Amino acid sequence: MAKSLGIFVTNPEQFKHVMGITKAAKAKGSKVKVFFTWDATHNAKKEPGFKDLCELADDVSICVDSYAKQGYDIKDIPAGLDEKKMATQAQHGIIIEDYDCYLSL
Amino acid sequence: MEYNKVCFMYRAKDSANDGIRSALGLAVENMYSYGVVLDDVTMDKIDENLTESIEMLRDMEGEIYSTNPANCELNGLEPITIEELGEKLRDMTHVIPYGIKK
Amino acid sequence: MKVLNVYRSEPDDTTKKLVEIVIRDRESDSFDLNVDSPDYDALVDKIFDADQVICWW
Repeated sequence: MAKSLGIFVTNPEQFKHVMGITKAAKAKGSKVKVFFTWDATHNAKKEPGFKDLCELADDVSICVDSYAKQGYDIKDIPAGLDEKKMATQAQHGIIIEDYDCYLSL
Repeated sequence: MEYNKVCFMYRAKDSANDGIRSALGLAVENMYSYGVVLDDVTMDKIDENLTESIEMLRDMEGEIYSTNPANCELNGLEPITIEELGEKLRDMTHVIPYGIKK
Repeated sequence: MKVLNVYRSEPDDTTKKLVEIVIRDRESDSFDLNVDSPDYDALVDKIFDADQVICWW
């Protein structure tokens, strides 16, 4: 059984790596959770591959407070997410507590 | 029960402000949570909200440090040297170089 | 304790100093993400093999 992997994304320039690592981990049978915060929430609106990431990973969410601070309307939910995935920093806590491996990007 | 110990490090002004909130976010999840503003960052005077966040973090046995004495003086952060920080990181379960580097 | 250091850019003196202290008397490995086509498959193997992963700026 492959280990599970949680990825905490704080840098908007790392999306390529988020995708690459998620794809590789899923190919090994890993459960993958990704949480985007602060200006990395731009990825949800600006990266064409964001919806694909949501389909590929087991769980993708963003910090709704950060998203609002970056100037987005919180009712404008990015493609691939739903209202429940517009979340809080508690998602980061879940990654640390419940996943075997941790990576920040 | 072993508690997680997490240290965030910040190397850009915006990252520091937001990352301090992320540190608080883990403290409320029952983790030991710390933040360190590194030399590259010269902070502005922090606002009331952020001051409140730091105070809440301290109430939960967390701390915000800086290797830059100007930040410590201006914003009441705890001074730390790079060597002391390195030793502190050895004791952490999670080390998070946060945000971007400017 | 096995530490994996992942580098997103060329490590500067601050990063080098911190890494030096963190890996002292510990087993460690590294991975350079700052290349055109990183081998993500190899990186995931290293992540699974490590006790702690630090992804430096």
